[in-house]
Amino acid sequence: MKALWLLAFACGAATAAPFVPTDADEVVERLPSRLVSPAERDQQRALQQRRAAAPTQLPVALQAARAAIDRARRSGDPRELGEAQAALAPWWSLTDPPSAVRLLRATVRQSQHQFDAALRDLDVLAANAPLEQRAQAVLTRTAVLQVTGRWAEAEASCRDLGGAAFAPLGPAVSMSARVCRAELASLRGATAPAAADLAALSRATRDDGLRRWVDLVRSELAERSGDPHAGDRYREALGDTPDLYTLAALADWLLARDRPADVLPLLAGREDADALLLRLAIARVRTRDPAAAATTRLLADRFDAAALREDTAHRREQARFELDVRGDARAALPHAVANWAVQKEPADALLLVRVAAAAGEPRAAAPVWAFVREQGLADVRLGAARDGATR
Amino acid sequence: MNARSLLLAVLLGLPVVASAHKASDAYLTLAVDGSTITQRLDVALRDLDRDLVLDADNDGLLQWREVVGRWSEIDRLTADGLALSADGAPCTAGPAGPPALETHSDGRHAVVTRTWRCAGAVRQLDADYRLFARTDPTHRGIVRWSDGPRGGTAVLVPDAGPRVLVDAVTPPAGWGSLFREGVHHILIGTDHVLFLLTLLLPAVLVRTPPGWAGARAWRPVLAEVVQVVTAFTVAHSVTLGLAVFGVVDPPSRWVESLIAASVVLAAVNNLVPVVRHGRWKLTFLFGLVHGFGFAGALKALGLADGLLAQSLLAFNLGVEAGQLAIVAVFLPLAWALRDTVVYRRGLLPAASVSIALLAAVWLAERALDLSLLPSA
Repeated sequence: MKALWLLAFACGAATAAPFVPTDADEVVERLPSRLVSPAERDQQRALQQRRAAAPTQLPVALQAARAAIDRARRSGDPRELGEAQAALAPWWSLTDPPSAVRLLRATVRQSQHQFDAALRDLDVLAANAPLEQRAQAVLTRTAVLQVTGRWAEAEASCRDLGGAAFAPLGPAVSMSARVCRAELASLRGATAPAAADLAALSRATRDDGLRRWVDLVRSELAERSGDPHAGDRYREALGDTPDLYTLAALADWLLARDRPADVLPLLAGREDADALLLRLAIARVRTRDPAAAATTRLLADRFDAAALREDTAHRREQARFELDVRGDARAALPHAVANWAVQKEPADALLLVRVAAAAGEPRAAAPVWAFVREQGLADVRLGAARDGATR
Repeated sequence: MNARSLLLAVLLGLPVVASAHKASDAYLTLAVDGSTITQRLDVALRDLDRDLVLDADNDGLLQWREVVGRWSEIDRLTADGLALSADGAPCTAGPAGPPALETHSDGRHAVVTRTWRCAGAVRQLDADYRLFARTDPTHRGIVRWSDGPRGGTAVLVPDAGPRVLVDAVTPPAGWGSLFREGVHHILIGTDHVLFLLTLLLPAVLVRTPPGWAGARAWRPVLAEVVQVVTAFTVAHSVTLGLAVFGVVDPPSRWVESLIAASVVLAAVNNLVPVVRHGRWKLTFLFGLVHGFGFAGALKALGLADGLLAQSLLAFNLGVEAGQLAIVAVFLPLAWALRDTVVYRRGLLPAASVSIALLAAVWLAERALDLSLLPSA
């Protein structure tokens, strides 16, 4: 497999002919910074210059790293995570860095799917760090434990967050604790009380960011419990500045409801993010859009390039690409299996069950059913996917 | 940044971030021809913009003139990002070729060509890659090199130190060479050979009330040899595999000490038989330890990532072949000599005593980190 990719690269590099634009005014690249205001671009450059001038100044490094992580969150671009790591370079490899650095290091690592490394830092912070960083660490830790399927530990971590120790930080932390508690309870099937609590939280908060997060959790809960209005929930969560995660989740909901035509306008112009390009490709294939072939080729090239650098953070996306874009369930299976070994969100479970059913190897999904039995994951989509009722 | 917005940033970003885009890669092609190396390096314009601020008018779009006008700085940045040396002596980078672009799956790349000159014909080529080490440590250089009919690829990590690409000095660790390494390792591995011989020494004898006597029937002898050799093979294959795949990684001092101890015990068992029947069980137990020893040798060869299983198989087959060769030479000799007094009264006890003593010295050296014997 690897040899094939290398061969593809070798051939591509050998035959690709460089070109020289003839017009000096020709736009040769559209930078990601075009999506932000000129003022923010200036700010970003000023910060980069300050950091370059004094790379060991901790406050500057922290500011640069936080700004890069924030950009990564909005754009989904792993280069930004690399920039955050670069800003923290003087402290990055220390076994005992300042806790602010440790927190950002854990954030970068969990974003790169290095969950075990992230947890090592988060465990230290959760035990001993200034209160605000500790709260952040406990919440991140809860999320990582939940994503990796360690629910009992996630529940304990979430309980810590709601404890009296964090009361001085105000309602934001206690509300976050309510959200994680409700989400974890709903994953185990206690849907109604969790939905009611989240609805109350959504009504009660005046903070737009928190409300959208709560609405996203409510949307996913609705989808897992088979609520036909989950799509409306997702649209509420989108608000007027849609973020990548919610957009992708809404697109998935539309695709699962066999409404690919609605995905096209939703994701128009967002081809730069691979996660959205993947949904767009699925929608284009299903609507027999003329652009389907080109989108498929572009995605295939990006996966090949990621494979070349031995990047394994894309397994979930690659399994979906093989299954839903190329229609090759057998090629999707190893990716879905490897992904499930690392990530255990409902979407990962659903993916493995779908892939295994489509590949005619339902036994490959046995780890998912064992997880459902042991942890009590409740998701109406799983049974339907096993029986081949949904796509 | 207040606590809450950071909280939300982390949670909302969690499931998607790393998967939304391709990370930063540069594509490096190196063609060796005698003492000159032709380079082509494709670097993403957006990476160059981050380091060099190419977007002079700050409109988020790169015009061709914004790239062409800064070509000399692109030349310098990429020249600083790579150092090549041939057989230990640095090669000299020539100037960058004319500006050109290439489209890759993640956008446009600047194509930087240049010619490197080395002191003499390149036999071993080292690449020290440092591009973007200070601005994006997750960047990688994907290199494809060729030297006449030979070639290969590697993933270069910025600032990870020099990496050997072309190596005409040492033969490539292919299937054949790993097999030979396996054979070589058991034949020169005195402790493994002695362990095996110690176990085989009494195989051609039977224990009678007055002492050892030559075996009459060859079938039980062969059966015992097969049992012992199989037990040793299975046991060391298991631990070799476990160690190479990183499942277990015991400290080498413990492993080496236990290997010495296994030789002592096997030799003592010939003199004062404790385990008489089912010696294969003893062999199996100690074979587990020897497997870890083989793993150390295999790891020292440096294995190609992703080809671990094949490399392991080739190396292990080499070990088994070497082991069978020892048995094939030893067994007929022992069979021929089994009825002689020299073998029964002389060779067996004398060899066992010497082996036990030698192995006891190894044990002391390895366990206590001493140096008692002149080094081989």
